[in-house]
Amino acid sequence: MEAKVILKQDLAAWIDALVKQYEVIAPVTEDGVVVFRPVSGLSEMAIEGMVGPAKSLREHFTPPTETLFDYKLEDLSAEVIPPENEERHRVIFGARACDAAALLYVDAVYSNVEPIDTAYFMRREKTYLVGLFCDKPAWSCFCTEVGDFLTNPVAMDVYLTDLGNRYYAEPLTPKGEELIGLGNFRPADENDKAANEEIRRKALERLPKRAEHETACLSYDWDHPVWIELAKKCLSCGACAFLCPTCHCFDIQEHPKLKKGSRYRCWDTCQFEKFTLMASGHNPRETRKERTRQRVFHKFKYSQERYCMLGCVGCGRCIAACPVNIDIRKVLEELEKTAVAK
Amino acid sequence: MRQKAKELLESGEVKVVIGYGQGSAPFKSTPIFIEKPEDAHKLIWNPTCVNNLTVYLRDACRQGKAAIVVKPCDARSIIELIRENQIERDDVVILAMSCPGVLNLDALAEIDLADVKSVEWHQNGIAIKTNAGETIIPSEKAFASKCLSCELAESPIADEKFGEPIERHPIRSKYADIEELEKMLPEERRAYWARQFARCIRCYACRSVCPGCYCKECFTDKPCQLWVLRSTDVESNWFFHFSRAMHTAGRCIACGECERVCPMGIPLMRLNQKMRKEVREMFGEEAGTNPEAPPTLGTFDLKKDPDPCSE
Ligand code: SF4
Ligand code: SF4
Ligand code: SF4
Ligand code: SF4
Ligand code: SF4
Repeated sequence: MEAKVILKQDLAAWIDALVKQYEVIAPVTEDGVVVFRPVSGLSEMAIEGMVGPAKSLREHFTPPTETLFDYKLEDLSAEVIPPENEERHRVIFGARACDAAALLYVDAVYSNVEPIDTAYFMRREKTYLVGLFCDKPAWSCFCTEVGDFLTNPVAMDVYLTDLGNRYYAEPLTPKGEELIGLGNFRPADENDKAANEEIRRKALERLPKRAEHETACLSYDWDHPVWIELAKKCLSCGACAFLCPTCHCFDIQEHPKLKKGSRYRCWDTCQFEKFTLMASGHNPRETRKERTRQRVFHKFKYSQERYCMLGCVGCGRCIAACPVNIDIRKVLEELEKTAVAK
Repeated sequence: MRQKAKELLESGEVKVVIGYGQGSAPFKSTPIFIEKPEDAHKLIWNPTCVNNLTVYLRDACRQGKAAIVVKPCDARSIIELIRENQIERDDVVILAMSCPGVLNLDALAEIDLADVKSVEWHQNGIAIKTNAGETIIPSEKAFASKCLSCELAESPIADEKFGEPIERHPIRSKYADIEELEKMLPEERRAYWARQFARCIRCYACRSVCPGCYCKECFTDKPCQLWVLRSTDVESNWFFHFSRAMHTAGRCIACGECERVCPMGIPLMRLNQKMRKEVREMFGEEAGTNPEAPPTLGTFDLKKDPDPCSE
């Protein structure tokens, strides 16, 4: 598909055209934090020089709290009211390549066993992604270490690169071509292509090289001393998991009232002590040692064994957010040092 | 400080020294737990030492005597832990640093963090070295906001002090933010907090990092309870935050950790400072100042405050 270019002065009109047909979700700055929210036009968006969005796209596919059904009790009968499928077709504008790649992993998880997660896939099907190339990866980014999706994007419909006064746009699907059709684009010329290449090269210079975590992870040590070290400082909060675009664990909770109520699911994480607490009182991951190991093993080892893909897209959010500077890159380094030595 | 840590471990006086080690980037430190005297050189002390390490103290003291590196503000948590009977004074060796202020990472927004080589104190603030050269970030920008209103020349409790006391000239009122909130109309204030709490993802980093939040089981974690729903709607989030503010009232020492770690940028210190101000006005007390005083909200004096029901 042919790459196109749109001048920044024409961007607002393109967004307006998108907003007419779709719900457009884009990064906005609220009290200094970048979050993805429905917007009504370019003026609300924080696309220009966007720093790392605090949250991934996760909440738009599996909301932090999602009603499964409401119910009403009438004498001895119960009426179950399913949630409304209110969602329009949506465009997520300005998605990061890592966050898009994470969707492929979550797809694999939620479709692995029957029944598949219908609420999630309904949102997936109704959502189109306009991605934005990261021209200035953050100190915590290491996406290129776990994949090549930064330059070969996945799960997107259009991929934009900021060329200064214009955006370079690659349509990646027929839907992407259709979205581009709504704006004042012209075909990209040799100049645009060279500028695009240059920006990519510069960004890649800032990032680490591809590492073979896929093979290394198979010999990660269950009893490695690093787990004891991490357990000492980890606080068992959920910051790392709740910001992670591939984390997908939830809990099912009840909100009963006298004659009605609802059942909902909400985010949960293996970092919380009660996550694996069983009714018997037994907790297989009782200490922080088991819990920190679970997060790393799940991202790297189990995901590789189960879905033949890594469960980490290198977005670096867990690194930047961890209150005690637990850096998953360093953990892997430790694990792989001894794996190689063995 | 390293020398002292080494001696304490060599003599067997303490089992562990809790301190700061080099983090995974030049602008990050990380908590470390030194158990062998030969590892004492790993301890660092610079503007990146932001964490309040006393959050680890309760567990550490359960294993034996522990030494801990503290800033003057963090030391107030030790006073609270002692007066709330969470640790014994004799179970801890306090290595108190004199502290010009710690780094506010947001101040580096214009600097390319990937390019930072070192972060050091400078007489006018903090000096950041990058490949492009050295930049001095002036104090009012470089330091965490709690440092700009800090009145502690030195640690209020200590066994060993390192460095000279610091002359303090607070350039910011510690109630600056809440004064602004207090001026709002009630409905404006409600809208303000609703917007803030709507962002909360209930990761509980704020609670987990708080040295005052030491309950074995937090009210939010009861598996079969409905004290507070786990749903992240504004009402439930609101309830969580107000309950926490009530639970830490009279105990919060304003270390600012909860606000620092919140990944959603929720200004939790505005709640905490408001509670501190109320407690000061109602009881004339400030948490973290006197280890001998009984806990502010944990004591009830029938003589001072007679119970009308018993009459
Ligand atoms: S584990 Fe960390 S770096 Fe990897 S995808 Fe999750 S948040 Fe991003
Ligand atoms: S790392 Fe933990 S919270 Fe994340 S998906 Fe795996 S088990 Fe769930
Ligand atoms: S964010 Fe850090 S402290 Fe919190 S659970 Fe994750 S690794 Fe532990
Ligand atoms: S750290 Fe922030 S987002 Fe997490 S629970 Fe606390 S206030 Fe909410
Ligand atoms: S509530 Fe916040 S400021 Fe107060 S002691 Fe706890 S972490 Fe520190």
